[in-house]
Amino acid sequence: MPAPAHVSALPYGGPGSVSPVESIHEDTTAKWFMLSAISYFFVVGIVALTIAAKFVWPQLLGTVSVLTYGRLRPLHVNGMLFGWLLAADMGLAYYFVPRLCGVKLWSEKLGVATAIIWNIIVLGAVVMLPMGLNKGWEYAELPSVLSALVVVAWVCFGINVFATVATRKYEQMYVSLWYTMGTILWTTFVYATGNIAVFFTTGVNQANLNWMYVHNAVGLIFTPIGLAIAYYFIPKASSTPLYSHKLSMVGFWALAFVYVWTGAHHMLHGPISQWLQTIAITFSLMLLIPVWTVVYNFFATMRGQWYQLRENVPLKFLMSGVVFYLLTCFQGPMHSLRSVNAIVSKTDWIPGHAHMALLGCFSFFAIAGCFYTIPRLFRTELHSIPLANWSFWFFMIGGLGFFVTLWLGGFWQGWQWNNPSIPFIDTVRALKPVWTVRFFSGILMFLGITTFLYNIWATVIDSQGKARSAAAVVNA
Amino acid sequence: MHDYVYPSIFLAYFMFFIFLVGGIFFLVKSLRHGYWGKNSEDPKYRMLADDEQEMTTRKASEVEG
Repeated sequence: MPAPAHVSALPYGGPGSVSPVESIHEDTTAKWFMLSAISYFFVVGIVALTIAAKFVWPQLLGTVSVLTYGRLRPLHVNGMLFGWLLAADMGLAYYFVPRLCGVKLWSEKLGVATAIIWNIIVLGAVVMLPMGLNKGWEYAELPSVLSALVVVAWVCFGINVFATVATRKYEQMYVSLWYTMGTILWTTFVYATGNIAVFFTTGVNQANLNWMYVHNAVGLIFTPIGLAIAYYFIPKASSTPLYSHKLSMVGFWALAFVYVWTGAHHMLHGPISQWLQTIAITFSLMLLIPVWTVVYNFFATMRGQWYQLRENVPLKFLMSGVVFYLLTCFQGPMHSLRSVNAIVSKTDWIPGHAHMALLGCFSFFAIAGCFYTIPRLFRTELHSIPLANWSFWFFMIGGLGFFVTLWLGGFWQGWQWNNPSIPFIDTVRALKPVWTVRFFSGILMFLGITTFLYNIWATVIDSQGKARSAAAVVNA
Repeated sequence: MHDYVYPSIFLAYFMFFIFLVGGIFFLVKSLRHGYWGKNSEDPKYRMLADDEQEMTTRKASEVEG
């Protein structure tokens, strides 16, 4: 099928994809955030692969304290959450917020200062977490000094985004702006709960607050900013208008009112009150409403446009991310049911689910955003489209191997744990084949990260070379 | 040792209340701004247009002016 006229103008890397005129957008902040995020993705990927190997070979790296599982795991979690994904998402927000508002970013200097603070936080974590300096709470391991810097950086980010939105040319805002502003407000609340309020409570209430934070770190930080990115880049990359803006607003408000109540489903069958568990289950099921609005909107947008996936790498990542979003958001409510939860809770099913959300869905959106924006930011073409295709398949095959293995292994593990006649250590030994597949899937994903990193940096370096050549021609 | 459980619960209820009020306020405001009316689909077409060309042209004309 021949491409319609509007398609040839946009998919990245092709003729016409780069504006030939000088833009009013400086984009220095977006570049800082994205390039550092992609670099941390690679570094933390090494840590991820190391801890995956430790599951298979527990003696690996001996007893060197900084290389033990207990030290490396928080580095992996925080590095991926704050070093890669949130930094990449912020970089992409710095790209699309001014464009959607039709004005320049309010303060590029404040943006660069935010990026510097963010890099200090990530580098601080790389040093402090392996040293064992750790608050000791899931997803809130960063030492207090770094948590305080996260708050400072987040306030700077919020001021810049809200001030840009306040100066916008158009009264009606596209849905990505709503989700970005929602992310800023909700993150403030969620981060303060998990990193400050949790220390002023005790016992079960403390555990409950922590799980509220952990769940909403995904649901009210990475979900809304991830959806902001998908709502921006799916129409842009496919050069097709969104199916329904009204439906996207229904999804936004449904998410706003539903998500915050679901955290307690992590403590089902635990010592919290039954009514709280039931509320968490009810709201978890209600999540299917915003999820349906999002997925239906994206699939309806792609009606008649699916052929673009053959050539368009950002769109491949985006629509695969949407499928993973559907799967993970169906899985979440289902394993919030008491009967299912009795089997899968605390098993390997949960990391399988969490990785599908953060890697399969939101990282795919962020990778697509980087592939789309970096050539435009540096006024060049992507270094290699075939290599970008390789990245996609490494991520896809490695990710599927990882997710599916952990779901099956997690269910198996849960059934074994529910049988008191099986000694615990036997359930650990039984999982070794599962962890071996996970390690090899991890190698594929790491190849995906490596090719992605190389492609992006080669694009940037190529653009510098071209700029120097052009300057030499002008001077001659 | 002080027990902050109840103060923290009241603080949490207070924050939920603020967010609920804020949510309802912006929901009503979005009604007034036409997000649910006949112009509700305008933003999805506007975002597709490449604003850079227009703004650069505008910037150039401002310089000339």
